[in-house]
Amino acid sequence: MRSIRTKIELLAALAALGCSTGVAPPIGENRDGPPQRGGVLRTAFFTDVRGLDAATAFDTAASAIESLVYDGLVTYDDAGKLVPQVAERIDVSPDGKRYSFPLRRGVSFHDGAELTAADVKRSIERALHVKTPCPVPSYYERIVGFSAYHDGKADDLTGVKLDGDYQITIELTEPDATFLHIMALPIVAPVCKSAGKVWERTFASKPCGAGPFKVTRYENGQIIKLVRHDGYWDKGKPYLDGIDWFLSMQSFTQRFKFEQGDLDYIRELSEADSLLYRTTPAWRGRGAWEPSLTTGGAFMNTEMAPFDNRHVRRAVSYAIDREQLASVRPGHVRAHAKMVPNVLIAPEPGYPQQTFDYARALEEMRLGGYPYDPKTGQGGYPKEIPYLAILDSYAQTAAEIYQQQLAKIGIRLKIQVVGWPTFLAKTSRRKTAQMGFAGWHADFPDASTFFEPILATKSIQDEESQNAAFFSNRQLDDVLDRARRSTDEAERKRLYREAEDIVVQEAPWATSYTYSYLELWQPYLHGYRPHPVLSQHVRHAWIDGGQKKVAARGCSRGLRALDRFTCPERGAGRSTLALAGGPR
Amino acid sequence: MLAYLGRRLLWSLFTVWAVVTLTFFIYNVLPEDPARVIAGPQARPADVARIRTQLGLDQPVHVRYGRYMSNLVRPPPETKDDAVWKLGPVRIDLGVSYLKRKPVTQLLAKALPPTLLVGFLALVIEVAIGAAAGVLAAMKRHGVLDYGTVGLTLVGISAPTFLTGLLLQHFFARELKLFPLDGYGQTSAEQLHSAFLPALTLGLYGAAYYTRLVRDEMITLLKEDYIRTARAKGQREWLVIVRHALRNALMPLVTVVGLSMGGLVGGAIVTEKIFRWPGIGSLSVDAIVERDGPVIMGVVILFSTVVVAANFLVDLSYAVLDPRIRKR
Repeated sequence: MRSIRTKIELLAALAALGCSTGVAPPIGENRDGPPQRGGVLRTAFFTDVRGLDAATAFDTAASAIESLVYDGLVTYDDAGKLVPQVAERIDVSPDGKRYSFPLRRGVSFHDGAELTAADVKRSIERALHVKTPCPVPSYYERIVGFSAYHDGKADDLTGVKLDGDYQITIELTEPDATFLHIMALPIVAPVCKSAGKVWERTFASKPCGAGPFKVTRYENGQIIKLVRHDGYWDKGKPYLDGIDWFLSMQSFTQRFKFEQGDLDYIRELSEADSLLYRTTPAWRGRGAWEPSLTTGGAFMNTEMAPFDNRHVRRAVSYAIDREQLASVRPGHVRAHAKMVPNVLIAPEPGYPQQTFDYARALEEMRLGGYPYDPKTGQGGYPKEIPYLAILDSYAQTAAEIYQQQLAKIGIRLKIQVVGWPTFLAKTSRRKTAQMGFAGWHADFPDASTFFEPILATKSIQDEESQNAAFFSNRQLDDVLDRARRSTDEAERKRLYREAEDIVVQEAPWATSYTYSYLELWQPYLHGYRPHPVLSQHVRHAWIDGGQKKVAARGCSRGLRALDRFTCPERGAGRSTLALAGGPR
Repeated sequence: MLAYLGRRLLWSLFTVWAVVTLTFFIYNVLPEDPARVIAGPQARPADVARIRTQLGLDQPVHVRYGRYMSNLVRPPPETKDDAVWKLGPVRIDLGVSYLKRKPVTQLLAKALPPTLLVGFLALVIEVAIGAAAGVLAAMKRHGVLDYGTVGLTLVGISAPTFLTGLLLQHFFARELKLFPLDGYGQTSAEQLHSAFLPALTLGLYGAAYYTRLVRDEMITLLKEDYIRTARAKGQREWLVIVRHALRNALMPLVTVVGLSMGGLVGGAIVTEKIFRWPGIGSLSVDAIVERDGPVIMGVVILFSTVVVAANFLVDLSYAVLDPRIRKR
């Protein structure tokens, strides 16, 4: 009798979960079916979004939402390749100095007005206007007439020309392989006429573009509500009715809400919660690592002793065991020993990279004039070296590991933990910081962004230097110039390989790791994969309404009380994505 | 009397000015660059320099100070600038947030009601719990209830608000689902519902403190002759407690409650972040982390004015109550 009752309860539970009843397809296994229209995606940011004016908001959080609100001339496809967006195609002149963008017909803004070439020109000029607090106008300095316009000496940007209502041409002063990448940034995306010709701060809270979603509610620190733009040019898209993007939500709250089914997608789990999900059988295989476009490590100021000595720098780069750095935060941190992330340039065998070689590190210390005897602990660099790390970040953890590893070659670090603004102030001033955390996130997905701003001679300044290592190498400068001007991809790859080799030989940075986020989404959310370039790119996501109802029913019937982590799992037999591989 | 009031008023104005000036110079002499924070860590130097110019941060500190103070309070003419807050004939301009690019007066006006709501609820909770628990503990002195209450108050006083907040969130919102995990809500009912957990977080700390205060006060009062007399007259015990002892025990509580308003605001800074409560606390934390100078200054001005005004009113009441002060 007892066993019959147990079986009945079990069957009832299975029926409630829709596992084998045919009520709904197994959750997580319907990815090849036709997308369903409808539903509201709910997700959250740990931070607030300061504003949504395309011309001024450039942080990660704002960019994720801007990519849904604004369509640009060009964007990235699912493989991370540049493709036209509101442009129909991209025509490039043979000398690489002239780009023409014929526009799609019938593209409408959220206010219903048609997008024309004049809107594109107005939007670019608005972003680069002298009064606009755009954080990165200098990206566009190679557009003809930029300086005069940006300095307020000209009324229009002469390099941006209208060819009728539906074509725009942009002329450059010199070929620039990164030009299409910077045109893919939301900064220059077309904005509605209500944005005006000149920037005004009020537009940031009522943004209007030509993207698939429009903003209906925006409250700082609370929520951004997006609804589908019914006049979107890509007919039938987007699939979602809307997106509720909660702001300033703590990591643990995100986890609680995700468990309760109140969030459909999360990315900012704490280390502990991330580990919990990865080790819980019900969630194994669900979610993915966001591709990392970041390089982390330590800079060494080449103008200050002892790092004005090339051998000491090389000793540091050889002394760092990168696998050990990764082992303290498995998954999130991966060993990385070159400037450009592997997502952009995957290293083939023999590719120049820094390596861990303790014997070689000791030898470099000897060559540098600071021999160290590990048996007696005698020798090495006689003074303590201050190392700047950032408070409450992995950089602080990494600093402690560097401290232990470098002590083994006679370099003694004294860690100074500071806030981010202080860190920026100190590292950007000449002859101020000897050594410290070095990290760079791709401004846009091109190898150039990992060299020019941070290691080129032209980025050195007495104050506000982005080149924290104050590294100046004519050979590297020449290689980077040639790579930027070249439009031949193979040639550019070869040149960046050369640049990597220079960094290995000169070691202004000891590159060490990349950092990645774990992304999780509910099994009823489909059409989402981490994009190789665009963060949290939920533009093509869709919700399986039937599966969502089943999931909600399962949760409400107390399964969560037995094991809250099995709740989203019911019915799913196979993994959808492997977590074991770690970030790319 | 008028001379006394005049002196106090001048002293209050001087105090606000001193706080504002001190904050301005501390913020501006730090070796940190708001333009760099605004532009982002990866911004090119030329772009940072332009932002610095746009914000006037390239000017010497004393010039910026002069400009800030001259804008802060200005007389008419009428202006359409939405950054300006009109207070009778005076225009108050706290500037525009560097990062949110909204007028600071608007940000403060929006953040103040949620903070007041949570603060008021917290006050009610801490006084209600504190008075009730204090009386019960005093009545059952040396009993299990007394020791238990005293033990709990020790925990309450020792536990930081971020811990209390997380625990309350876990049990009441996540497990029992009685309250929202976080957020503010749109309707008044939703807002009141959402305010309970942050208010309880803040209130529990105060409640623990007030319990001890009331308990000690009650123990002393219950030994007084007039209590013995009341009991000898055959009054019921609860009447003796409520009418004779508690009324007197609440006097020091009222004094301390007034003084603890600043503490409530301090606690709100952490609590509001945990519960994603859009009040002054959250605004302050964001502004400090992001070095948003105008917002930091706005919050300092707001609170220094409130504290100084409260002190002024207290001084005023002293003068009303104490004739010796009036004659000074």
